[in-house]
Parts: sequence; C-alpha cells; structure tokens
Amino acid sequence: MSDSILSVTNLKKSYGKLEVLKDIDMEIKKGEVVCVIGPSGSGKSTLLRCLNMLEQPDGGTITLKGNQVFGDGKSQDLDVLRRDVGMVFQSFNLFPNMTAEGNVSIAQRKVRNRKGDFCKERSVELLTQVGLAEKVDEYPDRLSGGQQQRVAIARALAMDPEVMLFDEVTSALDPELVKGVLDVMRGLADDGMTMVCVTHEMAFAKEVSDRVIFMDGGLIVEQGKPEDVLGNPQEERTQRFLGLVLDH
Amino acid sequence: MDTILDLFFNFDFMWDHKDEILDGFWITIKLSLVGGFFALIWGLILSLIRQLPGKVLAPFRWITIGYIDVLRGIPLLLVILLISNGLATLASEGVIPKEIGIPQWLGESDPFWYGVIALTLTYGAYMAEVYRAGIEAVPRGQMEAARSLGMSHGQAMRYVIVPQAVRKVVPPLLNDFIALTKDTALISAIGLAETVQVGSDLYSQFFSLSGYTAGAICFLVLTLPLARLVDWQIKKQDEKFQRGIP
Repeated sequence: MSDSILSVTNLKKSYGKLEVLKDIDMEIKKGEVVCVIGPSGSGKSTLLRCLNMLEQPDGGTITLKGNQVFGDGKSQDLDVLRRDVGMVFQSFNLFPNMTAEGNVSIAQRKVRNRKGDFCKERSVELLTQVGLAEKVDEYPDRLSGGQQQRVAIARALAMDPEVMLFDEVTSALDPELVKGVLDVMRGLADDGMTMVCVTHEMAFAKEVSDRVIFMDGGLIVEQGKPEDVLGNPQEERTQRFLGLVLDH
Repeated sequence: MDTILDLFFNFDFMWDHKDEILDGFWITIKLSLVGGFFALIWGLILSLIRQLPGKVLAPFRWITIGYIDVLRGIPLLLVILLISNGLATLASEGVIPKEIGIPQWLGESDPFWYGVIALTLTYGAYMAEVYRAGIEAVPRGQMEAARSLGMSHGQAMRYVIVPQAVRKVVPPLLNDFIALTKDTALISAIGLAETVQVGSDLYSQFFSLSGYTAGAICFLVLTLPLARLVDWQIKKQDEKFQRGIP
C-alpha cells in the first residue's frame, strides 16, 4: 500500500524463555491514529519500543516509509530511524540538567543541525502549542507531571517526526493532570499526525483513534474501528478485558 | 616532656627552615593539581570506554576493565618505581627519545613528571570507577529518551548522561583527590624534594622531627578544607534530592 508509513511483519521478541511478542503484523497509514490496548504483560509496550528499536526484535521486519530498517536479525542506521519516529514515555524522561526550552532544543541542534536562534524560536512555539508558554525557562523539577509530559511531547515534535509513539503517557499522572496531556494529543491527531498510542484511556481511544488494536499474550487478538472493538468486541478475551476495565 | 616538644614542635626550627619546607609544600601542591587534573580526565576517558555499547567494541571494554583492575590492585609505590626506572632505562637504551624517557617539561624535574604519570595511571583507575558509579546512577530512561530523539550514543553521553553523572560524583571525586594529595608523599621515594622528603632531609641533617611535623601541618592546611568542602557538597545534594523525615 502506498500510504503505509510504518509496517511490521512477523515481529518476534523474547526475554530469555518468555515470548513477549509472538508474531505481530501491523501496518500504520499516514495520518492514522492507532490505539493499542490490552492487559498488563500483553506485549504492547514492547511492540512500541521495537518500533523505535529501543528493543532489538528477534525476528521479523520493520519498514519505515518504504525503507526496511530491520530485517534478517540486522538493523539499518538506527539514529536515522529514531530521528523520524518520536517517542513519549510513561515516566517523561526529561533531561533534568536542561530547561524546558533546552530539552526541546537539544536534539534539534545536535541531530538536525539547526541554528541556535531558529531552535529556540521553534521550541518556544512548540511549548506554546502544548500550553507552556510561561514555563520555557523552568527546569523539569519545577514542573508538575502533566507539564513535564507536555514538554516531552514538544521535545519529540521538535524533530518533525513522521510518526509519534506514546507509551502509556498518562499512567504516571495524577487524575486531574491527565486531561491536559490528552488535549494536546487530541490536537495532534486533529492536525493529522500519525500516532500509535499504548493507552489505558478507553474514552480517549474511542473518541480519537481511527483504529483500536487489542493485544494479549504477545499477539494481536482483535483490531478494527473503535466503536467495533470497544463497543462490540468479537473475541472472548477482548470482552473479558473490556469488562474488567469499563465496569468501574 | 620538653624533649618531646623540642623534637616535634620546635617552631623556631620550623621558622628557620621555612624556605625549604615551603618549597617542598609548593611541589606537593603542584603535583596534586597537575596529577589530579590528568587523573580526572584519564578516569573519565576510561569510564566512557567501559560504557561503549555493542558486541564489536567489547574488546575495548575488556582491556579497560583489565587495566582498572590491575592498577587498583598494585601499590602506587610500585607504579612510581616502574615508571621512573622504566622510562629512564628505556631512554638510556635508546628505545625511546630522551625527551620522553627523562621528561623535564615546563621547567619541572623528571621525578616530578614520573610522579604525575604514576598518579594519573593509578588515580585514573580509581576515578574511572567513581565516574562509572555516577553514569550507572543516571536512570536508564535518560539514555532511551536521548536515543529516541536520534542522538548517537556519544551525543547522548556528552549532552545528557555525563553532565548528570559528574554532578552526582563530585563528593567521591574530591575524596579521591584528597587521597591523591596525600599519596604524592610516595614520590619522595624517587628523590623528589616534596614536603615529606624535605622533612626527611631536615631530620638526617639536624636530628629534628619538627620538619616532619611542619610537613603534617602543610598537608592538613590542604586536606582539611577539602574534607569540609566534601561535606558541604554532600549536604547541598541532600537538600536538593531528598526531603527530610521529621
């Protein structure tokens, strides 16, 4: 398919004897918002980390924009892959030795080789976009969790990625801070960003995503439009999982 | 009692010989600063090689680990003797040029530079372990975040990991520097007229131990403020990173 931006085939990953990903095939189209849901230990975070090669898969292929970045157990230039794939983590991972602006600027300067003034301007613009215009010069330890996570999103966006990966980005936040982060993600989706989100926010998945993937035991059990997978799941495992997360 | 005071604490004697004593002390200070400076750099280089990723670079890691183990496992005095006699012999055999074998750079004597080399080799190994602890104390997510932005391993180390690691290890590095300062005394074994050697010279000439006492005072002048500085640094870090339990 020509509008496929990121695809994986037969992806496998084990930690010792534990098979975390058994055989994953997935294709993400340009502009698509995909939410990956599933119980803890189902392999969804590992899948996401493999997409960015933070974990080395044991087998299968990963193709970004038509270039095979991983296959036959070997990988291509990973720094180039990661440049085009933005990632946001559950634990923010902001650089504590830099201000918010520094966090957003550093990779622009060192990886994209952009000029200082240009970086700063772009960083302030992105921080404004995520609602942190007043926090540009603050260090991470002076920001709330929700603010830190929004800086992390701005930091990933600064590289102008083709795809954004979100790994349970609201799981470590206090409930009242979740909305601010989800609002930023909604805005990105509306702007046409290609996104893969591992999430426990079912309402968000339902409202924003084009497709929901349910994973369990290292396999994709069911996928489709959010209203189908979340509203009328076909597989017994999906029904059981949704019964547990929605009934409270 | 008077004899003891006269032997160890004869301040008139110290005053009469203040020029020799201060000359020795000045050499101790120079040796500590120059040796400490190179040890800091050499230690960082060793710790960075030790952290290189991937299978291809594994031999470099092994060599570095071997080096650190060996240099931490043998006495500094032995390193000093090996370096001074080794380099001097190699130079006289014509294996290496005289400028390297009998170094007298920047107007300092060859024992001074043998001392600097030995201190750098040994204390570089100690400091490499301190840096390593600091690097390993930086959360894994920092490296992942840096790499996910497309930074290379080297860039991630340079801009993200090492600046955080160094801040964490300032107190233990200062402790190593205090130890290094005291260990400069061992270089008296190859005839460098540093603080302790001056004390020995005064003793053999005048049978007075006050030269040694003066040397001890000189060392304390240097090390006591450093010890307080370490405590102050630790306190500063504690205030930043932990909230006290009432």
